Amino acid sequence: MIRPNAAVLLEVRDLDAAIGGRAILKGVNLTVRAGEVHAIMGPNGSGKSTLVKILAGHPAYAASGGSVRYRGEDLLVMAPEARAQAGLFLGFQYPVEIPGVSNAQFLRLAFNSVRSARGEDELDPLEFDDLVREKLQVVAMDPSFLERNVNEGFSGGEKKRNEILQMALLEPIVALLDETDSGLDIDALRVVANGVNALSAPDKAIVLVTHYQRLLDYIVPDYVHVMEGGQIIKTGGRELALELEARGYDWVRVEYEHARAVA
Amino acid sequence: MSAVLNDLVNRPYEAGFVTAIESETAPRGLSEDIIRLISAKKKEPGWLLEFRLSAYRHWLTMQEPKWANVHYPQIDFQDIIYYAAPKPKKLKTMEEVDPELLRTFDKLGVPMNERAALAGVAVDVIFDSVSVATTYKKKLAEVGIVFCSMSEAVANHPELVRAYLGSVVPSSDNYYAALNSAVFTDGSFCYIPKGVKCPMDLSTYFRINTQDSGQFERTLIVAEEGASVSYLEGCTAPKFDTNQLHAAVVELVALDDADIKYSTVQNWYAGDEQGRGGIFNFVTKRGLCKGANAKISWTQVETGSAITWKYPSCVLLGEGSIGEFYSVALTNNLQQADTGTKMIHLGRNTRSRIVSKGISAGRSNNSYRGLVKVAPKADDARNYSQCDSMLIGSNCGANTFPYIQVRNPTAKVEHEATTSKIGEDQLFYFASRGVGAEEAVSMIINGFCKDVFQQLPMEFAVEATKLLGLKLEGSVG
Amino acid sequence: MTVTRGDFLDTLLGARPPTRDDAGWLSRLRAEALERANALSVPTTRDEEWRFTDLAPLTRLSFQPVRVAGTPDLARLRERFLPQAQMRLVFVDGVFAPGLSQLAAAAGACVSELGSALQGPRAAVLEAHLGRLAQFDANLFAGLNTAFLSYGAVIALDAGASLAEPVQILHVATRRDQPHAIYPRLLLAAGARSRCTVVEDFIGAEEAGYFSAPVTEIVLERDATVEHVRLQREAPGAFQLGTCAVSQAAGSHYHAVSVVLGARLSRLDWRVLHAGAGCQSVLDGLTLIDGRQLADTHSLVDHAHPHAHLRQQQKCVVSGAGHAVFNGKILVRQAAQRTDAAQSFRGLLLSARAQIDTKPQLEIFADDVKCAHGAAIGQLDPEQAFYLQSRGLTAPKALNLLTYGFAAEVIERIPVASLVRELECALVERTVESK
Repeated sequence: MIRPNAAVLLEVRDLDAAIGGRAILKGVNLTVRAGEVHAIMGPNGSGKSTLVKILAGHPAYAASGGSVRYRGEDLLVMAPEARAQAGLFLGFQYPVEIPGVSNAQFLRLAFNSVRSARGEDELDPLEFDDLVREKLQVVAMDPSFLERNVNEGFSGGEKKRNEILQMALLEPIVALLDETDSGLDIDALRVVANGVNALSAPDKAIVLVTHYQRLLDYIVPDYVHVMEGGQIIKTGGRELALELEARGYDWVRVEYEHARAVA
Repeated sequence: MSAVLNDLVNRPYEAGFVTAIESETAPRGLSEDIIRLISAKKKEPGWLLEFRLSAYRHWLTMQEPKWANVHYPQIDFQDIIYYAAPKPKKLKTMEEVDPELLRTFDKLGVPMNERAALAGVAVDVIFDSVSVATTYKKKLAEVGIVFCSMSEAVANHPELVRAYLGSVVPSSDNYYAALNSAVFTDGSFCYIPKGVKCPMDLSTYFRINTQDSGQFERTLIVAEEGASVSYLEGCTAPKFDTNQLHAAVVELVALDDADIKYSTVQNWYAGDEQGRGGIFNFVTKRGLCKGANAKISWTQVETGSAITWKYPSCVLLGEGSIGEFYSVALTNNLQQADTGTKMIHLGRNTRSRIVSKGISAGRSNNSYRGLVKVAPKADDARNYSQCDSMLIGSNCGANTFPYIQVRNPTAKVEHEATTSKIGEDQLFYFASRGVGAEEAVSMIINGFCKDVFQQLPMEFAVEATKLLGLKLEGSVG
Repeated sequence: MTVTRGDFLDTLLGARPPTRDDAGWLSRLRAEALERANALSVPTTRDEEWRFTDLAPLTRLSFQPVRVAGTPDLARLRERFLPQAQMRLVFVDGVFAPGLSQLAAAAGACVSELGSALQGPRAAVLEAHLGRLAQFDANLFAGLNTAFLSYGAVIALDAGASLAEPVQILHVATRRDQPHAIYPRLLLAAGARSRCTVVEDFIGAEEAGYFSAPVTEIVLERDATVEHVRLQREAPGAFQLGTCAVSQAAGSHYHAVSVVLGARLSRLDWRVLHAGAGCQSVLDGLTLIDGRQLADTHSLVDHAHPHAHLRQQQKCVVSGAGHAVFNGKILVRQAAQRTDAAQSFRGLLLSARAQIDTKPQLEIFADDVKCAHGAAIGQLDPEQAFYLQSRGLTAPKALNLLTYGFAAEVIERIPVASLVRELECALVERTVESK
């Protein structure tokens, strides 16, 4: 929901990034306020995934210019775990497998790390078990998931649901969801979308990175941004997503070039 | 490799101090005279001197082995000190032990005196070549258990030593076993009589203190019918920039229904980041399940030594006997480890299980080399092997060489191996959930090794995880 | 007269080199190979790579070069012709038999005997690859083959060319009078994006005693696809010491099925090198032996570039006093990040005197890889046998049927339907129908 006076949670200004000498982001600007849902769309290679990885602090990606402020703090100087502890969450496009570590162990460690960073008491295994079983219902997961190793042998849908389960546990303030819909059948998509919707709140924000509009049938965005060539070249409301679905991305580029030429 | 990973795998060696005590050493080099000197120093009976001399003569005819995946400079066997002992003093009680020595073991965290009592562990301590103290001897003697240094065993129980010494690892077995048989200076001896369950864990700590000395200890454990024992062994050495040779022989004999569990935490000095110094750890360990339903279980956590070459093995002769091997081998910098096991199935219904976890970091090379052999008469033999490798960073290597030889159609042998890594992606995944790199690595390594750590006695498990430079997160939550 | 080990090799090396007048480079290659072979000795079980394969039964014998090809049993030979193969090269006792062969023109491809290939427009392809893949610096048998290289099969595909039907290379050994040495050779050069299927078939007359050292070289250029079937059905008294060397350029796809049924003693050294990124290899192998047969497969897949993909499965079924050896090495070099390699070995021992030695070997120097291997040796699942028995099969029949199923899983991977049927029938004879 858009509220003009809502607090700014995330402010990206003129963000540049390059990998191996090739510019991937060329001056990205984005402002996310409490309560808002943003969708970032765009063709492959437009820089969408790079943007969220930089926001989450992936070590292989570094900003070469510009700034990012998260709730007033300089986000780019924070370690990735500090970002997570401060309430920033990245739902991975390809969650990695962690052999030998059970999901329950991992979830409790993550949960307690974030809790203790916030000055809250850690939960013991029994207390945590009660909590996690409750959260499992959000994503319609069977408790047997807890005993399996993190993402090991999970189907695509199970991995994505596991990401949303983590989001439910960590209760982030800003959730960045990178292609959360990719590789999901329609039932799984609905489960994941319902999970995300259940977690939205007036003091929180969600940024969805997606290729397709179909996720936006279930999670209604306040803003839709089109990213191309490392920039956000158009911003509109949810109707923009439908237009992109119908007409593709080329016209946006043409319109943008035209506007630049006129200016 | 990220800086964090680097820091985590490059903890300084904490046991690398030298103890300033007077010691008595033999001249460098090896000859029949040196062997006679060692034997005389130890006031040995004639048959043992003969055992040594015949091993030495055989050794002279043998070729030093060349191993495919292990590289090291030529060892000059004439430049090694074969006997180094703290200046002899007759020790009657623990109080008489050189306080400097006790402080050494204190630094190493060896549980002696009160700590031994608290931990309930009987300890034999081998310092360079000589056993300096054996605690709890009396308490064990009450149930008929003999637990003493090999020298004392030769003096007090010659018939037992003579019956079993070299019966599992013949002195001609291999180059380093022959060398050990010729020059071994001390070690632990343990005899558990029929039907006795050893009431506490037995433990030996080995320490190489003298520069240029070799350590050639000899351990012999015999468990009679229905006996059982759990034996722990720990090893450290000071930092020198020369290499030291450690060529031990361990023999285990389990008769009908006997059970021997042998655990090792090996943390010999591994050399520096440039690969200077460190122990050459060339060890022969073998257990014989001689009786029906005997069981021998090896558990090892290998983190030290410049080069480790050892294959704790089980010869499964008795019908229904069981051999187990659980191993974690961590290599870093320029360390080389070539370790694994041999399971020789000779009897019917024999079972073996192998769980090997290799972790390579830095520029190290970690090889698992194993043999599972099922002889024609070993009907219904079963083996299961799991060999997993984990690579940390991109300059290390992990190799798996599982030899499987089956001569019996009723055998069932299964082997599985996998490779995984701790890389940026895994650490970032943890970080993005608020978990720092140290805890992440700790959790991944513990998860990777848990099947082995579960086999270790409690204090050892704690030491092992500490040794791997890790902080233990609570058990599965 | 007792024949020493030296005599075996001396007789082979003392043979008159081929007299055919060939290009200078080929003569030089032969001379180089002969010089190298002269410097090598016959491997013994003291060599790590030969530790389970004792060549003593071979080296006790002495083999003469083939001067004149024998006469094959034509009726039986024709049974081996693949009906759908448009092109077939037949070699009798190592000598090319044009009358039995069938060659047809194909766009962008040359399928011919070495002699005519050397005169043809693609001679440069031969010079670039022949003897380069199957290196003989440490391989005595590849050295002997190269030194006495006289006849051979050549398949060369231009970029983008495609052969719809399989090409069959059939080697038949016939001479029963005295032991002969045979050196079959195949060079397959698949240009960029080309596709083809080749079936190599080695057969021998029942009573023939001979030593064969075949060499196959396959080079795949970028994005080429090669399906390779190798059938070793040599005579029961034969010795085959084969080499198959494959080099894959980026994005190429090599699928091979090796079936080993024959020979008293056989060995295949199979090396697949990934010379570019994104190579895919699928290696399937079946060894089915009995009596006193010894069959050794040594494979090496050398991953030297990123994003490689390997699936390898090897199965061995051993009865009688047979002895199967499988050594499967997967090497992942430091540059080969994101390699995904999986190897599985399954062995079935069907008699008390049968034996299997295996060493599935992983050598990994790259950290971002997924490698796994599994090896299992044992018997057929008694639960499955019981299930079949409960449906009325006798115990031996049930076991035979399960053995058939175990082996047929590999046979079914052959991309030539008629060959699958033929081998399945042979398999039925050896398993289901056996006593």
